[in-house]
Amino acid sequence: MAQIPNLDNAPVNLTSIREQSQKELVNILRNIRGKKCLVIDPKLGDSLSLIIQTSILKEHGVELRHLSGDPIQTDSSKVVYLVHAQPKLMRFICSNIHNDVSKGLQREYHVYFVPRRTVVCEKVLEEEKLHHMITIGEYPLYIVPMDEDVLSFELDLSYKECQVDGDTSSLWHIAKAIHKLEYSFGVIPNVRAKGKASVRIADILNRMQAEEPVNSSDMAVPEINTLVLLDREVDMVTPLCSQLTYEGLLDEFLHISNGSVELDASIMGLQQEGKKTKVPLNSSDKLFKEIRDLNFEVVVQILRQKATSMKQDYTEMTTTTQTVSELKDFVKKLNSLPEITRHINLAQHLTTFTSKPSFLGQLDMEHTVVEAQSYDICFDYIEELIHKQEPLKTVLRLLILFSITNSGLPKKHFDYFRKELLHSYGFEHIALLNNLEKAGLFKKQESKSNWLTIKRALELVVEDTDTANPNDISYVFSGYAPLSIRLVQHAIRSGWRPVEEILKLLPGPHLETKRGGFSNSPSFDTLSRVSTSIAKVPDGRRALVLVVFVGGVTFAEISALRFLSAQEGMAYDLIIATTKIVNGQTLVETFMEKLG
Amino acid sequence: MANVSVAAEWQLLYNRYYRKPELYPLPWRHVDLARTKVAAAPFGGPVAVIRDDSKIVQLHAESALRKLRLFSSSGSLLADAVWRHSGGRLVGMSWTDDHTLLCVVQDGTVYRYDVHANLIEPNLSLGKECFEDNVADCAFWGNGLVCITDALQLFCIPDFGNPTAVKLADPGIDQMPHCMAVIEPQYTVSGNVEVLLGVDDAAVLAVEEDGVQRLGEGVLRGPLQKMVVSRDGKWLASFTHDGRLLVTTSDLTGVIIERECESALPPQQIAWCGMDAVLLYWHDMLLMMGPDGDPVHYFFDEPIILIPECDGVRILSNTSMEFLQRVPDSTVSIFTIGSTSPAALLYDALDHFDRRSAKADENLRLIKSSLPEAVEACVDAAGHEFDVSRQKTLLRAASYGQAFCSNFQRDRIQEMCKILRVLNAVRSPEIGIPLSIQQYKLLTPSVLIGRLINAHQHLLALRISEYLGMNQEVVIMHWACSKITASLSIPDATLLEILLDKLKLCKGISYAAVAAHADKNGRRKLAALLVEHEPRSSKQVPLLLSIGEEDIALMKATECGDTDLVYLVLFHIWQKRQPLEFFGTIQVRPLARDLFITYARCYKHEFLKDFFLSTGQLQDVAFLLWKESWELGKNPMASKGSTLHGPRIKLIEKAQSLFAETKEHFFETKAAEEHAKLLRIQHELEVTTKQAIFVDSSISDTIRTCIVLGNHRAAMKVKTEFKVSEKRWYWLKVFAFATIKDWVALEKFSKEKKPPIGYRPFVEACIEADEKGEAIKYIPKLADPRERAESYARIGMAKEAADAASQAKDGELLGRLKLTFAQNAAASSIFDTLRDRLSFQGA
Repeated sequence: MAQIPNLDNAPVNLTSIREQSQKELVNILRNIRGKKCLVIDPKLGDSLSLIIQTSILKEHGVELRHLSGDPIQTDSSKVVYLVHAQPKLMRFICSNIHNDVSKGLQREYHVYFVPRRTVVCEKVLEEEKLHHMITIGEYPLYIVPMDEDVLSFELDLSYKECQVDGDTSSLWHIAKAIHKLEYSFGVIPNVRAKGKASVRIADILNRMQAEEPVNSSDMAVPEINTLVLLDREVDMVTPLCSQLTYEGLLDEFLHISNGSVELDASIMGLQQEGKKTKVPLNSSDKLFKEIRDLNFEVVVQILRQKATSMKQDYTEMTTTTQTVSELKDFVKKLNSLPEITRHINLAQHLTTFTSKPSFLGQLDMEHTVVEAQSYDICFDYIEELIHKQEPLKTVLRLLILFSITNSGLPKKHFDYFRKELLHSYGFEHIALLNNLEKAGLFKKQESKSNWLTIKRALELVVEDTDTANPNDISYVFSGYAPLSIRLVQHAIRSGWRPVEEILKLLPGPHLETKRGGFSNSPSFDTLSRVSTSIAKVPDGRRALVLVVFVGGVTFAEISALRFLSAQEGMAYDLIIATTKIVNGQTLVETFMEKLG
Repeated sequence: MANVSVAAEWQLLYNRYYRKPELYPLPWRHVDLARTKVAAAPFGGPVAVIRDDSKIVQLHAESALRKLRLFSSSGSLLADAVWRHSGGRLVGMSWTDDHTLLCVVQDGTVYRYDVHANLIEPNLSLGKECFEDNVADCAFWGNGLVCITDALQLFCIPDFGNPTAVKLADPGIDQMPHCMAVIEPQYTVSGNVEVLLGVDDAAVLAVEEDGVQRLGEGVLRGPLQKMVVSRDGKWLASFTHDGRLLVTTSDLTGVIIERECESALPPQQIAWCGMDAVLLYWHDMLLMMGPDGDPVHYFFDEPIILIPECDGVRILSNTSMEFLQRVPDSTVSIFTIGSTSPAALLYDALDHFDRRSAKADENLRLIKSSLPEAVEACVDAAGHEFDVSRQKTLLRAASYGQAFCSNFQRDRIQEMCKILRVLNAVRSPEIGIPLSIQQYKLLTPSVLIGRLINAHQHLLALRISEYLGMNQEVVIMHWACSKITASLSIPDATLLEILLDKLKLCKGISYAAVAAHADKNGRRKLAALLVEHEPRSSKQVPLLLSIGEEDIALMKATECGDTDLVYLVLFHIWQKRQPLEFFGTIQVRPLARDLFITYARCYKHEFLKDFFLSTGQLQDVAFLLWKESWELGKNPMASKGSTLHGPRIKLIEKAQSLFAETKEHFFETKAAEEHAKLLRIQHELEVTTKQAIFVDSSISDTIRTCIVLGNHRAAMKVKTEFKVSEKRWYWLKVFAFATIKDWVALEKFSKEKKPPIGYRPFVEACIEADEKGEAIKYIPKLADPRERAESYARIGMAKEAADAASQAKDGELLGRLKLTFAQNAAASSIFDTLRDRLSFQGA
């Protein structure tokens, strides 16, 4: 099973980006001759599985290990660490080496930092007096293509780091990654950003262009026409709602990790008891490409139809005589059988979750919270969840949603919920509450909420959504149109100007600017001349828009964007980049920091 | 005719013509090559001159102190320096590729000078053995040297980039060799330098680092007196003991040419002229030998020095610099007497045209078909010409011809004009670099520019690089640095203005590099002013740190958004300043502060506490203490000895008092207080129950555990201690009973009093435990008929559900329930059906 997605249909040449990353990694391994033990930090390992096959690593004499505090078990005299440049990972490397030293093992150590070496990591090694034993290198992996239209910067903690710790390293990383894309595809002429982080990224990007300019004269027409940057902070409502698209639901319940889900083999109808199996989920699977973005209700129907028609064909095949060409057609259809079976198995497994009353109740309540008309009902519901000690993440999702739509809770209620949470789940969660408060996700109410205005102005709640034949992005949440995507819709269609009033109600500044061309510094007078609609690319290709979500994006939002780009009268292809693909669960998880 | 006079100056050697135009008359005075040592760099490079101390000369009015003088090829003095070095006689002197003058003296010291006659420190040494045994002779190549000592040992510096001397293999000879030549490392098989020694018997020794080979046995008939290796290292020209010129392959396996010379005395100089002639110089005669035919004689009434070039030899005398060169084919075809080649006719046609003669047209008609090659020959010949007016005429001829031929590459002429402009500019006597076009192409424009800036000809270098569309950064950078070095007396502000004026010419130039140079020259203030203009933060910030501008560095790093730079500054300041001062600095820079906190959280816990205390963030200290209390709990020692709970609680209480001190953290104060209290109670419970299952569970969990254990009094005590609400209490207790399936107790509890939150918890607990029978007991007691309907529906009692729904008079609910049932039935069966349908594929 191909874990690495096929990128041939990507609107820009993503294959070359991936091949570049492959080559760089292979070069690193080649430069360290002979047998070696490659120690990867687990998160990076996940990302690398989308870049390179393990077999290629093995060909270069690599023995793979995951980074941990435990001593490394290997016969190789060369140890190569490939790790994200995060200070806390250095602790493991130090303890590994100290352990070898205490055992009198003499090894050659290489540390390759992803995406670049940093002062702070080297400082840790220096303080541990290991600096002189280590050869330091870099592996500049800034972008991982997840699928033909999705890129990830693999910065899962970006949102929390920016909001809680004030550590904005990820913003530099994102700007650098976009700048790297510009080296391949030309300077992106239009930039639209909303949110503090996004505007900062646009600023850093301009600085980078000034410092190390991409030569715009080399490229006739930039391949990417517009860059839309959006902070997750601007729309925290959407990721907290339960996704109802096929792919979204798979992620909610089975957790899609780097384009595949892992589940019991028995669920997939395999005869291996108790074993786990990995199911790849990307656009290389034709059927999945067709149904991934649809509302789950519709997916069930489609699968049923496909199975029925297959059955019919089969009956015809056995009962009536067929011409050779008819036989050929049938055999062709048979080829898609494994895919149909795979998704029927997955869908059936999903229904065991979706039919649970607790899930239906949760959906109902999410809707009520988003409607923001019945404060007390929501309050009682959440209170009860806490009293019943439902899983903390489930509670928090709803509680944060509740807090955001009300722009915080009255002090009395805020304190009450906090107390009840600590009593029910333990005092160690004081750090989590502190983090959430710093990030503004669960806080004391200080001003009146403007959620109702925003909801109305952007038509976020759409009655009578036809999930089977949708005409609006609201189908992905069965009636709620994701705020983030509404903003992108506006940004692409007409720029920020028409929605400026609404943008002011959302957190963070916004920015709209033109770059590149022959002007070196974007001065303010160019701002006034920004054309409101995106110029068409002259050579007949569809214009390409890069939408960057700073702080994560959900599958449902990606689906909504794909839906948008497939609409008639939409002259743009979209490509999505994100710090990480998230869902309500994983997003809440990043804030959990147990004191213990 | 003009053609005749040109060819009249040529000499015929075998079937080729040679010419010897004068490049410059030399204006220098007091230079007598007879009494000096000379080193001239190839590619029209500078000439170093110093009085030869191995000769006895009359000093006249000259000072007894010797002077090293450096001239350009046109004889203008570039610089001089008084020679005061000890170490014995000057044995050898030569220029390296990057125009460093090497002077080797007897004791093995190598003095190095730049083109401005500044001594480059430190002096190199060829080693102890050379010091003890004295250097007798040496040979050079572009980037290295070899010397032989009086003890007949060879030493070598293979690369001046990394100047360390190595000893070569012992040649095993007992007499000084007659002659020595080197084959450059790039032309040898081993990649190491190979030294050829002409020894006393009929052989040549090839000495390398790891061995000695005898070459030429059987080929040579006697010892060699003089040797020279061709430019490409393939051929060796040598003069034998019996007065013959011998050209062999450089491994001496085959003789290519063997010619008698008129003298048996070895020549003073021997040199290759291009690749097809060898020059031998005796006293006043220069003999040029070709592969065949009579040699050519040139006579000089003054001493000369031969300077080999890739395409000829420059001849330096006291009064002039000449260039002996084979006449290029294109020039021959135009200017040979009586030539009727198309190019000659074209050249002639131009002459007619200029004189308004109709013969011009006649000529053109004659060569119609071969016009392109005629044009090409004129262009080519123009390129080889040193005389500017002749260049012009040839180019005019070319462009005249070009007008009549459609298929000639038009940019050829333009390109040649460009090259010639550059060549003429550097050939001008003020610059004095007489490059031929071939040399220019071999040298490459960028190296030429490098040499010009090295000679401080910045303006010309800048013009040329601009003219050729090359990057001007290197020129401007070098200029700026030289300017700073040379302008000690100019005040910072003025100098800055002068520098900026030029630096702005070049986009992307590194102001930081210029600033670093200023700092090295002791001009810190200027450096600070310059670095301000550097757009690349990654270059700017480290430099700001090195010149002590930490605060600006911090500001710049923060602005650019690269956290790595912020950390760089952070650690720098941290190391330099006292903690309190450091805290003060970062406290006003939020990004720096937050990054410091992030790092310190991982690795500098105690220091972080100091920071928070110093800035009055008591609540953050409290959080740290609270965190420590858990770490103490995680410690395996803690769980064994119960006494260790003491320290944990103490830490939490300390945190509590800190929270209280801030007067803003009531909630946290209370939470810490409760936590401490909980730990105490849990500790007691563990002691009384003798089960270590309480500590670190939540209040709710503690209550549930107590109930599950049947310890209702303890549960009640926890409830009252923490003022647990009745609502929560009911949920906890109901679920606790359901956990141990104590349905009797549950029922009893339901009857204690009317539950404050109704009977829903009871219903839910039963349904979840899949106890339909128990659930039915409580469903009827639910107040809301809708809830009743849904509960019935959940345990599959469709009829009761429908009844309840209709009682609620809720049509919508009824409809939904109906649907649920329909769907449930369908949902459960549908996929099984699908699977059955597809079963044929399993086979």
